[in-house]
Amino acid sequence: MGEFSPGLEGVVAAETAVSEVDGANGRLIYRGGYLIEDLVPVVSYEEAAYLLWHGELPNESELDALRQQMASARNLNKSGRGTLMAIDPGTDPMDVLRTVVSAQGASKTLAKPTLEEAIALTAVFPTIVGAAYRRRQGKDPLEPRDDLGHAANLLWMMEGKEPSAEKAHWVDTYLVLLADHGLNASTFAARVVASTGSDLTSCVVGAIAALKGPAHGGATLAARNMLDKVGSAANAEKWLTEAHARHERFSGFGHRVYRTYDPRAKILREIAKTAAPELHETAARTEELALKILHEAHPERPNATNVDFWASVVLTGAGIPKELFTTVFATSRVSGWTAHVLESLSDLRIIRPASRWIGPEPGKKPLQLAKR
Amino acid sequence: MSNNAYVPGLEGIVASQTAISMVDGQNGRLIYQGYVIADLAEEMSFEEVAFLLWEGRLPNRSELDALSLELVGHRTLTQPASIALDALPKDTDPMDVLRSVVSVQGVEHRLAKPTVPLAIHATASFPTILAMFHRRKLGLPPIKPRADLGHAANYLYMLNGTEASPEIVRALNTYLVLLADHGMNASTFTARVIASTESDLTSALVGAIGALKGPAHGGAPAAVIEQLELIGTADNAERWLRDARKRKVKFMGFGHRIYRVYDPRAKILKEMCRRMNPKFYDLASKVEEVALQILHEEHPERPQSTNVEFYSAGVLQAIGLPKEYFTPTFAAGRVTGWSAHVLEQAANNRIIRPQSEYIGPEPRKPMPLAERG
Repeated sequence: MGEFSPGLEGVVAAETAVSEVDGANGRLIYRGGYLIEDLVPVVSYEEAAYLLWHGELPNESELDALRQQMASARNLNKSGRGTLMAIDPGTDPMDVLRTVVSAQGASKTLAKPTLEEAIALTAVFPTIVGAAYRRRQGKDPLEPRDDLGHAANLLWMMEGKEPSAEKAHWVDTYLVLLADHGLNASTFAARVVASTGSDLTSCVVGAIAALKGPAHGGATLAARNMLDKVGSAANAEKWLTEAHARHERFSGFGHRVYRTYDPRAKILREIAKTAAPELHETAARTEELALKILHEAHPERPNATNVDFWASVVLTGAGIPKELFTTVFATSRVSGWTAHVLESLSDLRIIRPASRWIGPEPGKKPLQLAKR
Repeated sequence: MSNNAYVPGLEGIVASQTAISMVDGQNGRLIYQGYVIADLAEEMSFEEVAFLLWEGRLPNRSELDALSLELVGHRTLTQPASIALDALPKDTDPMDVLRSVVSVQGVEHRLAKPTVPLAIHATASFPTILAMFHRRKLGLPPIKPRADLGHAANYLYMLNGTEASPEIVRALNTYLVLLADHGMNASTFTARVIASTESDLTSALVGAIGALKGPAHGGAPAAVIEQLELIGTADNAERWLRDARKRKVKFMGFGHRIYRVYDPRAKILKEMCRRMNPKFYDLASKVEEVALQILHEEHPERPQSTNVEFYSAGVLQAIGLPKEYFTPTFAAGRVTGWSAHVLEQAANNRIIRPQSEYIGPEPRKPMPLAERG
């Protein structure tokens, strides 16, 4: 047996062509070999999803077909709807998503994951997220709009009004940027579930469950909460110095893989200037000081800003309340999760690592209950 | 990018340190917290073993009473969970029912850290979910849980509406104990990956249910029955199996990545089968003999051992469970192990984020939409 590598750091658990995080050079490559910064100016979320699923960008007719297929799969079925309406409106939106996706995908017999299912699952996320949001506010869920793109429909499902082109574009860019990211914990969870021959819904439910954790998808909310505590650019120095003295962790900094500035954070930082000018000012000052403090504390560490930090600013600018951040992250990442599951089917082998025993010496005899 | 080589299936890679269970494949031993499974299986109640997995030691009388009381107190579904259960079509796969209703039963307003009481509550709910759905499918009214019955007895009571015989209860209890944990199997590993992001216990359990559903993991015991039904009689075993092999049909219930000798759980279940389900046993033991012979002829170097699913099928059949409830009942046992692993992971956590090796094309520039062919 090999050495124990906590967190499986450095262990290669899959071969993939879906995406590559080139941490040393600060590059994120999506399937087909495209750098994220090259894709963002030319593709919508639907095109990025198509790319992750097929390995090629769609042409106009392929894109139209995908848009239509997604638009027609936006409604909840009876199980999904019944389950949604059964849940207390104050429930954590990630729990709503986990549960309703599970019910929506409940089936009679075990089916092998398919692309059609991946498309349908991706299409329905905004419906669930929008409904979770509206129910929290005591409002009824809305019907999806089949004439809107994926990002615009998400905002519609939340607010019940058509978003400005600008807002829809910010959300769309965010969705493109977060759609895949190598073998992160939620994607890995999806691949482990898939490795047993289970169905696509089970894989996606497992991935949602993993994304919920504050050490993963919950980090965007943590970054925004920190910015709320900082309050203003003028207060940043005082707050960060004091927080550091209290050993409080700065949210939105550091990543296991990137050794340089996260390319997604760079793009979001630029958008944040227009999307949320005031919060951008606070965030920019916070970033500057946080990086300085972290560098002084650990000069050896590449303590770069991560995607969550600037994502929290852009999502705020797009009008997405912070309690929905993780669900919007999931709304993007579901295309990556499903692409990984579909990829893994071509060479399915159960993922079953080993463990090291650190318990008592085996073979002790149990005492009878009365003698314990 | 990593300099390390890709390890398919993470075989042999140590992903966790654990004191919960150990699969000693060389010697055919399964250890729970230091105890050999054979010393626990027919002596301990499921409740005692659950306590052992969660707390690291066997309970004394008052601890066991407290645990039993806590389990009994959480056998009822929340109202949203009952409504959600009724919203699913009657012909839904019970594993999908379990995945969905456990998810509803565990919804929270704020993220909570995994705790033993939460593990107890989840464990208590599994039989209720399965029994309620089974009865609904049959058009029968749900049965209220009985506070005076133990975990295994109450499950059978809620399924059937009548008290099962002590022998049947004991058999189910032993099955649940045998299946309660098994090292870093795929569903347990899924639960630990989810817990490693600091997510909640319900999320980890829901993910684990999804993984257990796969036929390469927990989804196989029903397939054993189906294959035996196809074989039909002991006399037909040799002909059917040899013929099946030519068609590359997989023998259900054989092979395991870890055991090099006979699975100790299979040994116990085989003996139970012999006592409780002689008809199954006569056919199954003949099929086992021939299957092992054929597998040995093909791969003399491989330890082609009978796995736990093979004789599980016969025991669960004798208990009277419909075959679509085999895997969910496996889950009802394993939920104790899953939650124990989640607690262990949370106590000493580091996010589980392995690397991947990129096998796609070299970086290139995307074409604008209008220019794509």
